Amino acid sequence: MPALAKAVFWAIATLLIYFGARRLNVGRPCWWTSPLLVTWVACGVLIVALRTTYHDYLIGTHWLVLLLGPATIAFAVPIHRHRQLIRRHWVVLTVGVVVGSTLAVVSSWLLAGAFNLTPEMRASLLPHSITTPLAMATSSRIGGVPELTAVFTALTGLFGAAVGETLLSRLPFRSSFARGALFGMGAHGAGVAKARELGQEEGVVASLIMILAGLLNVIVAAVVAAN
Amino acid sequence: MNTSAWTSPPSLTARLPRRRLLQAGGLIAFWAIIESFAATHHWPVPGSLVGLGLLWLLLDRGILPSSWVESGADGLLEHLMLFFVPAMLALVDHPEFLSLLGVKLLLAVLFGTVIVMCGTAMIVEIGFRIGTARHARAR
Repeated sequence: MPALAKAVFWAIATLLIYFGARRLNVGRPCWWTSPLLVTWVACGVLIVALRTTYHDYLIGTHWLVLLLGPATIAFAVPIHRHRQLIRRHWVVLTVGVVVGSTLAVVSSWLLAGAFNLTPEMRASLLPHSITTPLAMATSSRIGGVPELTAVFTALTGLFGAAVGETLLSRLPFRSSFARGALFGMGAHGAGVAKARELGQEEGVVASLIMILAGLLNVIVAAVVAAN
Repeated sequence: MNTSAWTSPPSLTARLPRRRLLQAGGLIAFWAIIESFAATHHWPVPGSLVGLGLLWLLLDRGILPSSWVESGADGLLEHLMLFFVPAMLALVDHPEFLSLLGVKLLLAVLFGTVIVMCGTAMIVEIGFRIGTARHARAR
């Protein structure tokens, strides 16, 4: 197959699988029909089955990864939309984001040490709790592999969204802020979707915590990398 | 806003809303301009982050009406997961993860996530209770 046809094939295949997966998730909403998981596994199987190299696959789909940039800019809209909640509760949001990010970084650092992971693996693991585009940006600045970070981050979201409710049913957190923060800090995008099922305020708090924690991490990583 | 709704079913709109595409296109153009600046001037922070700050400032100052970008921004965020799936597929080049290393990494992610969730929720609950108690006293 000529290179151009190959690129077009993989772009169309990825899009078809993704939109098919969304449809599947509407019909049967649960964690294992999550479009992220289904698209990832299905594309992976197809790549291996057709004996394509990752390099060839990426020629056709790299433009999708580039869209993470404009999507990051789009986070300005929810920040602006919920400015009143931020102004009213900025202290508790800041505390949650700072403590949550610290816990995320320290726990990954210690776990990576306990498991004897290489420095590159450790750096790729550190930002796994923040939203994927910002996690990848952070990873590349601290010596990690952004693609691996994308994998760890996605697994974090899937797992966090799946266990969050179990944790909440066993822990005495009653405020919508704590419940939203648990999902937004622990499971980023997937957690925000889950928090929305609990209530409107939970959803908003989760999305704000997710975005603000992501921003904090990228900025800290940029400062660390610059020095 | 619909930030990567992984588990809740997103609304499947069969027809492509033109307004949403146009606004998303505008955001992409905005990003491309900023990113080219960032590349030529070697900014220490990612261009997309500067773009986020700039867009927020424009919205906050009322220079840009939010209805001009809202629908496009929501659209981009709704499909966020599609944009990083190709990156996640880098795993097909790394068969070494199908070993003890993969198990270790998975455990690190699982333990770390439970720690982050419990710790964050606890501190926010405490902060929230202190905040509301102070509020009640002030009244």
